[in-house]
Amino acid sequence: MPVKVAEEWLNICGGCEVTILDIGEPLLDLLPKLEFVHMPVLMDHKYFGQTGEKTEMEIPEADIGIISGGIRNEKEKHVTEEMRKKCNTLISLGSCACFGGIPALANQYPLEELYDKVFRQSKTTDSADTPSVDIPPLTDRVYAIDEVVKVDVYIPGCPTTPELIVQALTALLEGKTFEIPERSVCDDCPAKREKKAITAIKRPLESIVPPGQKLEDSRCFMELGFLCLGPVTKSGCGGSEKVPRCIKAFMPCRGCFGPIRAGANPMVEMMGALSSIGLDPKLILDRRSTFQRYIGAQGRLRPLPKRP
Amino acid sequence: MNNTGEKFEPLIIGFCCNWCSYAGADLAGTSRMQYPTNIRIIRVMCSGMIHPNLVIDALTKGADGVIICGCHPGDCHYLDGNLKAEKRADAIRLMLEDFGIEDERFRLEWVSASEGPKFAQVMTEFTETIKKLGPSPFKT
Repeated sequence: MPVKVAEEWLNICGGCEVTILDIGEPLLDLLPKLEFVHMPVLMDHKYFGQTGEKTEMEIPEADIGIISGGIRNEKEKHVTEEMRKKCNTLISLGSCACFGGIPALANQYPLEELYDKVFRQSKTTDSADTPSVDIPPLTDRVYAIDEVVKVDVYIPGCPTTPELIVQALTALLEGKTFEIPERSVCDDCPAKREKKAITAIKRPLESIVPPGQKLEDSRCFMELGFLCLGPVTKSGCGGSEKVPRCIKAFMPCRGCFGPIRAGANPMVEMMGALSSIGLDPKLILDRRSTFQRYIGAQGRLRPLPKRP
Repeated sequence: MNNTGEKFEPLIIGFCCNWCSYAGADLAGTSRMQYPTNIRIIRVMCSGMIHPNLVIDALTKGADGVIICGCHPGDCHYLDGNLKAEKRADAIRLMLEDFGIEDERFRLEWVSASEGPKFAQVMTEFTETIKKLGPSPFKT
């Protein structure tokens, strides 16, 4: 009997769903063992009955629940709670579900300030009052799934790696647990490390790679002066190939896999590391967003308290 | 004064380097100098080993103030450990702002092994500053 799967997308771009599709051939082996009972991206399944006749939200019972995207409004919070009730094992898929993701950058501003900027005093389009009819109200900030309900399996990444989804699902089908090992991106990075000393910061667009350059012959991005979040970011994006994806494209790591250990603070660690090798910490622009680009939920990004 | 009417006694963590400042603290003690008991000294081998993580963790998990004491510039037992500490202190001050902690709660001070009186004076001053600021915003 196939295992029942419910999938739900919340505050997300849809990239993680594309990643599920991107699994490719292994998906063919996996599909007969899975039965999707709820998946808004693929199926027309309404929350309140097909004609809206029910009064309470209903998601079918499932063995495995997959949620991608963080929580931005009350509806998404409600869906998350319903998913937890109906699913035995809950997977949070992608950086948004695990740590808030890019949308959580908004956690730096209070909700009213956000409304002002985006709606009431919008400079790039017609300004208007905040829409409020027939749409759920926003939550005070962006939440990761595990801030609202218990999460059993985390698959971070923006978007995540198809191989990890296969590994996680296979492990769960076999009744095992799934966890990404606590390794840093640097552990899997093939670039050469020579001497740590940077005095100025370059921007990623200055990273022009000569044609034919091999990754094994190039130097560590940090040593070349690019801010790379490799030292404080969990590895695993490369899948079985090991080499981290951005590094493979000669781009510094942006930190989408989140902290190596739960409870770590990448911003403090990066600022500490960079100041220890002699860089003036004031040169780092917008450190809060740069070092916490994908991990703004769970209280990491919040409005700056006003000092009296 | 807090709600219960008790006088606010801050909890201050002091990281002192083994070679200068801890000896300075020792001298203050053996010379029987008086300084507030709010300070909890942690001896470390060098002020350059205090990672900003330790300071931020202390301040977000219950300490009201953190002071790092090291050798005077040029006197470091490990040649440039205290210069590293100075660079890190800049980073720490920047980050305190991100966490919404007043930057007066963190201080970096050079105390040599012969400066017992200076140690006592710095600790007294720092404790006074923290007492004026009140409990850390992270204390509930």
